[in-house]
Amino acid sequence: MASLSEEVLLVVKKVRQRKQDGTLYLMAERIAWGPEGKDRFTVSHLYADIRCQKISPDGKAKIQLQLVLHTGESTTFHFSNESSALKDRDAAKELLQQLLPKFKKKANKELEEKNRMLQEDPVLFQLYKDLVVSQVISADEFWANRLGDINNTDPSLHNNKQEVGISGAFLADIRPQTDGCNGLRYNLTADIIESIFRTYPAVKQKYSENVPHNLTEKEFWTRFFQSHYFHRDRINTGTQDIFSECAKQDEKGLKSMVVQGVKNPLVDLMSLEDKTLDEGYGVSTTTPSTSNRTVKESSNAAIIKRFNHHSAMVLAAGSRKGETPTDQASETSSTDGNSRDSDFFQPPVKKVKLQEAIEYEDLQRENRPKTVALNLKKSDRYAHGPVPLQSQHYTTSQDIINSVNYIQHEMANYKPNLTQVLSSTAATSAIAALSPGGVLMLAGGQQAINQMVPTEVQGELKHLYAAAGELLRHFWSCFPVNTPFLEEKVMKMKSNLERFQMTKLCPFQEKIQRQYLSTNLTGHLEEMLQTAYSKFHIWQTRRMLRKT
Amino acid sequence: MKLNIDGLLVYFPYDYIYPEQYSYMLELKRTLDAKGHGVLEMPSGTGKTISLLSLIVAYQRMFPLEVTKLIYCSRTVPEIEKVVEELRKLMEFYSKQTGESNNFLALALSSRKNLCIHPEVSSLRFGKEVDGKCHSLTASYIRAQRHSDPNLPACRFFEEFDAVGRQVPLPAGIYNLDDLKDFGRRKGWCPYYLARYSILHANIVVYSYHYLLDPKIADLVSKELAKKSVVVFDEAHNIDNVCIDSMSVNITRRTLDRCHNNVDTLQNTIHKIKETDAAKLKEEYRRLVEGLKEASVARETDVYLSNPVLPDEILQEAVPGTIRTAEHFVGFLRRFLEYLKSRLRVQHVVQESTPQFLKDIFDKVCIDRKPLRFCAERLQSLLRTLEIADIADFSAVTLISNFATLVSTYSQGFTIIIEPFEDRTPTIANPVLHFSCMDPSIAIKPVFQRFQSVIITSGTLSPLDIYPRILDFRPVTMASFTMTLARTCLCPLIVGRGNDQVALSSKFETREDFAVIRNYGNLLLEMSAIVPDGIVAFFTSYVYMENIVASWYEQGILENIQRNKLIFIETPDAAETSMALEKYQEACENGRGAILLSVARGKVSEGIDFVHHFGRAVIMFGVPYVYTQSRILKARLEYLRDHFQIRENDFLTFDAMRHAAQCVGRAIRGKTDYGLMIFADKRYARADKRGKLPRWIQEHINDGSLNLTVDEAVQLSKHFLRQMAQPFRQEDQLGLSLLTLEQLESEEMLQKITQIAHQT
Repeated sequence: MASLSEEVLLVVKKVRQRKQDGTLYLMAERIAWGPEGKDRFTVSHLYADIRCQKISPDGKAKIQLQLVLHTGESTTFHFSNESSALKDRDAAKELLQQLLPKFKKKANKELEEKNRMLQEDPVLFQLYKDLVVSQVISADEFWANRLGDINNTDPSLHNNKQEVGISGAFLADIRPQTDGCNGLRYNLTADIIESIFRTYPAVKQKYSENVPHNLTEKEFWTRFFQSHYFHRDRINTGTQDIFSECAKQDEKGLKSMVVQGVKNPLVDLMSLEDKTLDEGYGVSTTTPSTSNRTVKESSNAAIIKRFNHHSAMVLAAGSRKGETPTDQASETSSTDGNSRDSDFFQPPVKKVKLQEAIEYEDLQRENRPKTVALNLKKSDRYAHGPVPLQSQHYTTSQDIINSVNYIQHEMANYKPNLTQVLSSTAATSAIAALSPGGVLMLAGGQQAINQMVPTEVQGELKHLYAAAGELLRHFWSCFPVNTPFLEEKVMKMKSNLERFQMTKLCPFQEKIQRQYLSTNLTGHLEEMLQTAYSKFHIWQTRRMLRKT
Repeated sequence: MKLNIDGLLVYFPYDYIYPEQYSYMLELKRTLDAKGHGVLEMPSGTGKTISLLSLIVAYQRMFPLEVTKLIYCSRTVPEIEKVVEELRKLMEFYSKQTGESNNFLALALSSRKNLCIHPEVSSLRFGKEVDGKCHSLTASYIRAQRHSDPNLPACRFFEEFDAVGRQVPLPAGIYNLDDLKDFGRRKGWCPYYLARYSILHANIVVYSYHYLLDPKIADLVSKELAKKSVVVFDEAHNIDNVCIDSMSVNITRRTLDRCHNNVDTLQNTIHKIKETDAAKLKEEYRRLVEGLKEASVARETDVYLSNPVLPDEILQEAVPGTIRTAEHFVGFLRRFLEYLKSRLRVQHVVQESTPQFLKDIFDKVCIDRKPLRFCAERLQSLLRTLEIADIADFSAVTLISNFATLVSTYSQGFTIIIEPFEDRTPTIANPVLHFSCMDPSIAIKPVFQRFQSVIITSGTLSPLDIYPRILDFRPVTMASFTMTLARTCLCPLIVGRGNDQVALSSKFETREDFAVIRNYGNLLLEMSAIVPDGIVAFFTSYVYMENIVASWYEQGILENIQRNKLIFIETPDAAETSMALEKYQEACENGRGAILLSVARGKVSEGIDFVHHFGRAVIMFGVPYVYTQSRILKARLEYLRDHFQIRENDFLTFDAMRHAAQCVGRAIRGKTDYGLMIFADKRYARADKRGKLPRWIQEHINDGSLNLTVDEAVQLSKHFLRQMAQPFRQEDQLGLSLLTLEQLESEEMLQKITQIAHQT
């Protein structure tokens, strides 16, 4: 049936796909489905192509599994074996769950890159939506010369993106909901799970130890929430609980953190007191011993401990990445900062902190390099950005004096030439045109486009410009057309442009007409398209000529 | 800059000066001129330390015969180190200005734990262990034994110091703790003993209170300090408690058991020595007959700082015959011990005065007052004679003998309270004998008597007049300085009601009230949403904080707060709290923001500063009254009423308000700093409470902000924070709260400055 080299991991019979019965195969690198009685696969997806799997909710009559591919397509399998449908589905799901992450890492690097680019650049994403999703051009074309940029740029630039920290209240965000009958439902998202894992490495370890060998994922989380571990006032966790070990580990972690001590000597309460009173001296040294504390009190103490630990872990999870370089920095500074033989690197930190503490910055004369303060004459200009200026000719005072002299000279030598004056009608029309409201004075009264047009139309116009610009770029990049590939492309681009005009531009024009806005808005766009068309025509006619 | 303070040339190592610093120096100069004591209150962050140092150093240079030494006492090790660093700055400025290196010697002294460089000893974690180990290597008879048996372990640093170090004085300079260690390492000398030896001829000594106030330590370290010294107690708002602590003793059953073992050991050792070296005991006996004449001579010639545990009368007499021989003394100790044991076997609380106690002990076991008084001296002598290495093991018997001496010496100012069980756990027998000092003046009296000028200063000493009363001295100057501000960078608000008009208070009746707890939670929640970076919240006691945190947790308030900021909480464990503190600062540093829940009177409230973004708001939940049901406190209040005419309530309020002021003052550490101070209790609005806050806080509380609801407080805070977030430059301050030399010398400014000092 399949090629022999492939290892089949799971075979599930009686799986329907598009109302056809068949068999589902999970193999080492792909998932495939073949209709009953045929020896070929009609559906076959590499794991690397699969973005995620979805399953139908538990209560549903149909038991289904949906695979969503990176391309956005999806395939649904319906498990129809009455007796074991649920079991089959879960088996498939579990297996996929293990397999998919493995391939995800290998998954098309390019695809990831594209995804990332789209996510990071909203303009690009809009363009993608305008052009690719509305099928003006195909995705490949869209990416054709974008990816070139990717390969050129330094990958490290993209990689040192700042890591997002964890919300301090992520556990609080998991609000249990009652499901109507005596139960609680917790909604866990991937983010929350990630947060839990990052904050509590012990839980992550438990997870990887137990899931899916001993427990299903669902069971794991159910136990997690049932466990005292989650409930912060835990005092005595039962030994049968898998999380009791986590609690112990946490405790150990907390203790080691405490034992490690603090780097900043100014906050070290242990060494704050110089000379503590000897035992037995002092007014009341009798601190209540921990043994005779009530249960409530020790649970309160546990809450406090947990909060400190939780906050510390959240903080550590957020800064784990950045920690290593700073550590190194401090260490190097300590080694070259003072070359004492045996002293540990405490003094430099201490020195710096002490100096900081006694510093009165305002008592000292500032000895920073003098900076020039930015002096804004028109602060609104600074705030609102540049306004398009009509090109102006700046005249020097000499020019002005010259021209005044010139006019004076002209006036002095003015001699009316009565035979060649304007007719009176022409004169009145000229005056009308030049007076306010006249044809020639329109420019002065013109309002800026951003005041006349509603913002949504503006936005749309921007997108249209971006899209048109992109298409035109593709179009013009074909010239000079000297290969058959380019020829083909230029033809296609032309049709793309036409399609763009039909599907995007025309509706927009109609829309603004309906809103009685100046149709002039799209004038420039059309002009650009026309230029492209005429270029195309010129090229085509030339080609025809050459051919004939 | 160079200043002219009332005819004295003062070098001030900065280009600008705050007006209040100038004013402070004027007052200080007057105090020194009068050779009297002074009480000066100046807000934290206005450069109190550098003003003090600049003036006193200038004074010392001008009148080297009038003031020979400055003894600067501070409370914590970081504080001590800060002072030395400031001093270093000043001295660098001096040598830059005058062009000559000056021959000033200034050094910090701290316990062995902070100074030891012996590889084994310094690796021990606790101060007591370090002391004990050090003692076992360096005690005189140990070293004497080593002559016969060179295999005994020794501390090479101490030996080296002892051989060479004493001849060569420490070269002039500024020595911080690390510098001393560094120097010690280079020379191979013990830094601790070097420092202890060098303080005798140093110009400036910086160390902690205990070295002067705790008679046990003062006797060892500070006894021979010159009379013409100026003593400064910085951060002195709690000085009375330090005095009381150093004179009070608690005896539990465990102490007695350990003491019992000690006495057994003593007896065995005596037996052994008797067989081998009876001459030694005879020699001791002879010495005791001679009496304590030497000490008496020294004190009369004013060479020594007197020891309050060793009153003058004792010095006139010899050790009484009844306890002169070693065996008799051990027997005496046994009797005394048995008596104490019987006293601890009570079923109800007993409170009695020292004369009553003495009468009882005479009636029951025929112990006279006189031998009791010599108990401490006699034990010291015995321990020396018996050559017992590890003094730390004998702490119990030392404690008992100190108690015996104290109880027989002072008929006033002390009380004895025997409690059979703790109040919270009446079923568990845990008898404690509290021998409690109620009069702080006893411990500090020798200091006032011996040194010509004692300056008590802090950021919060209001009301000023109470300190001279409880410490029983007559100051020549008392002044409180305000903080001149170009912008009001502190915003005290009194939140008296919740949004639902429930009165907010931590008083006992409403302590468990859910409405109050909820409203407190709301206050913190709302503040966490609007205040940037760090918020510090203080509770009145640890138990109260635990309860509130638990119910906030149950009500989900903490979860909501976590959405805005991370939460860190002080615990009774110092190491854990240190970690929480560091994480708190880290969270403030990286912009996440955090809240620290802490306790007034706790370690955090006393020793940690929350500068700038580490504390943009301080919330004081409730009025931090001391636990008033304690019998010791009650006795002390009675004593204060009877002897100092201070009413109970006045003292309690004073005590609560000084701690509240300490807490909220933690956030403002300078003029460029800013912070909200939220007093969340309606009782703060009352004049008697408000009036006891330091003047620099009081004058910013306006009538409109006396009884705010949570919402109103949030509105005001938002406004304040927005204003404060605007850039604040040096130019904005110049001429108002920051002066150049020219501005300072102008007639008009000098007029203004005279108003800054508020005389009382």
